[in-house]
Amino acid sequence: MKFHATILIELKEGILDPQGRAVEGVLKGLNYPVEHVRVGRVLEMELEAKSEAEAKETALSIAKALANPVMEVYTLEALKALQEVG
Amino acid sequence: MKIAVIVFPGSNCDRDTQWALERSGLGTDLVWHTQGNLEGYSAVFLPGGFSYGDYLRAGALAKFSPVMAEVKRLADRGYPVVGICNGFQALTEAGLLPGALLANTNLHYTCKEVLVRVERDDLPFTSVYQPKQILRLPIAHGEGRYYADEETLERLEEGRQVVLRYVEHQGQGGNPNGSLADIAGIVNERGNVLGMMPHPERAVEDVLGSVDGQGLFESLKRALEIVA
Repeated sequence: MKFHATILIELKEGILDPQGRAVEGVLKGLNYPVEHVRVGRVLEMELEAKSEAEAKETALSIAKALANPVMEVYTLEALKALQEVG
Repeated sequence: MKIAVIVFPGSNCDRDTQWALERSGLGTDLVWHTQGNLEGYSAVFLPGGFSYGDYLRAGALAKFSPVMAEVKRLADRGYPVVGICNGFQALTEAGLLPGALLANTNLHYTCKEVLVRVERDDLPFTSVYQPKQILRLPIAHGEGRYYADEETLERLEEGRQVVLRYVEHQGQGGNPNGSLADIAGIVNERGNVLGMMPHPERAVEDVLGSVDGQGLFESLKRALEIVA
């Protein structure tokens, strides 16, 4: 079966995020009432697995390989089975 | 006695590093990152540049290159391993050095000369320098802000693993990127793996504006000659 996975990688809380700060400055300049803006990263992929449990395991293993544990945390944001076509 | 200078797709200081090493009388080979064997080399350099275009994070994809397992094996056996700039980033990503290098606080890619103080002159990379000597070296990076959690930082300081620190001297220099504890370069506990953000290979001839980087290559040569 084919699955679509969405992985979110973010800087850990408490680590200064200059990108988030720059974006926040701009948003405030546009008069949006925002604070604590953080910029993360989204990875999307299609993967092959026999079951949803296996797909989840694979996606989490990929997230772990790609995130840097010193400064980042990862979450499996979404996982859904794709309809086989044909 | 030969030194391997690893070339990743996107490395761009490989030839400068080779030049600096050869100038000091050290033989070198440029070694493509898919090479799985570094047998016979006395030391390894991971040069600066933008391995894999800095995609994902600086140095993040380089850690999966086949050569990195071999770099780790040599490091574990006590061979000198040096990562400069992107090479430093790759060494932290690969877990050969603690901590990480984050985006500069000011978000600018910063290309200029800095002043760094040699905190350790008892290493194979620094033995020809004077204690606490201040070096003028160029930096060129967007992600050079050294970060480690408090516990790691304490361990680094206690173990005297900070080798180079950004300093202000006579109104010049200072911390260019927001690095914790002004850290510009560190070694592992054993003292054989060095990572540094400044570029010593760009400071080996008068015409380049500084010769302060030359000492690193001379120190290494001296150390390798003793071993050989």
